[in-house]
Amino acid sequence: MQGRDPHRTGAARLALTFLRVGVMNEVQYRVNFFIQLVQSLLTIATGLTALALVFSQTDDLGGWTRPQLLAVMGVFTIVGGMIRSVIQPNMQRVVEDVREGRLDFALTKPADAQVLVSVRDVRLWQLTDVGVGLIVLVIALIQIGDGVGWQAIVAFVGILAIGLVAIYCFWLMLASASFWLVRMNEVQELFDGVYRAGQYPVGIYPGWLKYGLTFLVPLAFAVTVPSEAVTGRLTWQAVTVAGATTVVLLALSRWFWQRGLRRYGGASS
Amino acid sequence: MQQPSAESGVVVEDLCKTFKVPVREAGLKASLSSLFHRETRDVAAVDGVSFSIQAGEVVGFLGPNGAGKTTTLKLLSGLLHPTSGRCSVLGFEPRARPAALLRQITLVMGNRNQLQWDLPAMDSFELNRAIYRIPRADFVRLRDEMIELLDLGDLVNKPVRNLSLGERMKVEIAGSLLHQPKVLFLDEPTIGLDITMQKRIRTFVADYNQRYEATVMLTSHYMADVQALCKRVIVIHHGRILFDGELASLADRFSLDKTITARLADGEEVKVSAARSEIAAATSKLLGERDVVDLTIEDPPIEDLIERLFSSEQRP
Amino acid sequence: MTRPMAEESKPHAMVSMYLTLMRTSIITQFQYRAATYFYMIGMIVEPVIYLVVWSTIARSHGGSVQGFTPGTFAAYYIVWMLVRNVNIVFAPFFWEWRIKEGNFASQLLKPVHPIHYDLGEFAGGKVVVIILWLPIALALALVFHPSLDPSVLQCVVFFFAIWGAYLIRSLVLWALGLITFWTTRASAIYEAYFLSELLLSGRLVPMQLMPKWAQQLSWAFPFRWTFAFPITSLTGPITQRELLEGLAMQSLWIGVGTLLVAMVWRRAVARFSSVGG
Repeated sequence: MQGRDPHRTGAARLALTFLRVGVMNEVQYRVNFFIQLVQSLLTIATGLTALALVFSQTDDLGGWTRPQLLAVMGVFTIVGGMIRSVIQPNMQRVVEDVREGRLDFALTKPADAQVLVSVRDVRLWQLTDVGVGLIVLVIALIQIGDGVGWQAIVAFVGILAIGLVAIYCFWLMLASASFWLVRMNEVQELFDGVYRAGQYPVGIYPGWLKYGLTFLVPLAFAVTVPSEAVTGRLTWQAVTVAGATTVVLLALSRWFWQRGLRRYGGASS
Repeated sequence: MQQPSAESGVVVEDLCKTFKVPVREAGLKASLSSLFHRETRDVAAVDGVSFSIQAGEVVGFLGPNGAGKTTTLKLLSGLLHPTSGRCSVLGFEPRARPAALLRQITLVMGNRNQLQWDLPAMDSFELNRAIYRIPRADFVRLRDEMIELLDLGDLVNKPVRNLSLGERMKVEIAGSLLHQPKVLFLDEPTIGLDITMQKRIRTFVADYNQRYEATVMLTSHYMADVQALCKRVIVIHHGRILFDGELASLADRFSLDKTITARLADGEEVKVSAARSEIAAATSKLLGERDVVDLTIEDPPIEDLIERLFSSEQRP
Repeated sequence: MTRPMAEESKPHAMVSMYLTLMRTSIITQFQYRAATYFYMIGMIVEPVIYLVVWSTIARSHGGSVQGFTPGTFAAYYIVWMLVRNVNIVFAPFFWEWRIKEGNFASQLLKPVHPIHYDLGEFAGGKVVVIILWLPIALALALVFHPSLDPSVLQCVVFFFAIWGAYLIRSLVLWALGLITFWTTRASAIYEAYFLSELLLSGRLVPMQLMPKWAQQLSWAFPFRWTFAFPITSLTGPITQRELLEGLAMQSLWIGVGTLLVAMVWRRAVARFSSVGG
């Protein structure tokens, strides 16, 4: 800590500060925790019912057994909770701010604009999804019964992080599109709709959709590949592709964001 | 259908409106129990107000924020139901919101937008035509009249979201008057607008009042609005009427002090209050004693005026 | 100078209002084609997931599950998209926003019941949605090869059934959204409603694939008349008797919905007018 210029605001530090403020804000509305918990339970109930319907007719879906798909459901819920608590609120605010012309407030701060707009909001109580998803995942792993080694857990967490970054990049590009398109109100519906596809492993989809969900909307890296990590299906190829794609997405989304910003600056003056 | 008589403007008798305000308590337990049962206390927003306004009259409704102005206007337009007392507009009781009344009144709020955000105002006008069942010929005549009087020009063909605040207010007013209402409730219609735009809207309201003999109730923070439009003002504070009469007598009675603001050579600013009769003496004293570069003499702002009115009425 | 303005006659004025509302919303929707397409792409995914999952199961079971082949599944879920798009209505979640923004107050001051705005505006949006759906349906048909062979009667019933579904959902959800006047924390109730709808409507799977008890339970709710019935009225299998029965049930639920809106509406306005916006 010592020896650092106190006026320099590092990206990580800035993010942490904002996160803390956001959490403090949310803690004031503790009742929302219970409401959100009920909603998380209802959502998982929906997913479980869908699974039950599928497995009332079959024992195996595209090579995945019932407990394995349950594990996918758990990961899907965890990742969904993380997206909705941190990524989505911020990106949606960008869309709104661009539309209402309020983005200037963020742009006039002495920090990297991309970092700033990515950490302004946090929906703490959406993390109930993470809790509920974790429980489902653990139950699924117990049902599979093979035991999960620490390597698998490390791989899971690592891949999950990579996948979340990929999703963030995708959202940033969606949000940046609002610099060109006037109305993006529906963008969340779009994402939510597409995200649903993640509740099944992308491998069961026909080719065009499978590649779409891997490279266009990087759902595969956020849900399917981490699920493979805990169900003993992970391959080195998958990890390499996930890492490489995420790096490309990082660069691409930043480029797109900055092009959008330039356009915003030109249009609003 | 009940036909309103021509004379009846607005009549208010002993009108009261009490709101229940939740008492917020800290802590998880309290906020949980507030889900099911809320502790509340009563706040009287309008507390026994009586007045009557003749058809064709323009009345300024003054008072500080939270005095009960907007609540009264909402009671008169039927958005709120009175806790006790009664009011009538054009002979109708507003609380039932009879269509025959709604067709003849309008409520314009300065910070609200009733037009379709993403469409040109022209399309919203068309919608209002359908909603108010305005015959095509009348509609076209009135619309073009509004466009001319408010100097709207091409603004009606641009999406509302692309208009400035003032432009938006102008099209908003035009849209609210297309059905040729006989009673206008204008709540801060000029808030946030620049001087030119304020003037334009003022002239227009005066003109509309003349042309259609419409009754107008206007609230505003800008004394200039009130001075230009209203012969009569009603001052309300804490839900009660403090003054009801000619604007001229209000100013005479309460605006005794003026404020002298002087900017000194060293950049310092000095403010002095003095009664009307002593302005000359105070000014020359200031000029003699200090090194003044700039000097203005102003009436106190409306808020001060009312505050003074309030305190003088309350003390025995 | 002043003269009381003449009025248009009531039925004529109502039609004219609906046409204007629809026209306005069509203009808005077309103005934002890109956004509408975004929205629809999001919407394609849901039925495609169901379709892929169930076709996979059908194939692994020698070609059919409970009489459904990949072809009939494809027909079901492609028509599903149209039905779903038509039965999207003003959502209960947005009431809070509507009240806060003051839109509600300004609607109350208009001499028309506010539900007409939503009915007219959303109906207009449907016109655009149906036009945008056609190329998507065509593309999906090329990929998934639906087997669809409706009779003339089925097509006629389908036309009425989708608008019946639109009306039922509009009315029931409108009444549900009015809860906002009593509490702004009703979102869990809405979620529970939508979950029941998902499970008992035929949205997730055709009713025939549901357990028997669920199929019977669904008769107590409006849900199946807003999804399963309009879809199967076109795709089959459905008897003539079931077609007419479905339309009758839809009429019944439109009646119930209207009654519900009327009852709750009066109380909601009284509530709004006593506590203020």
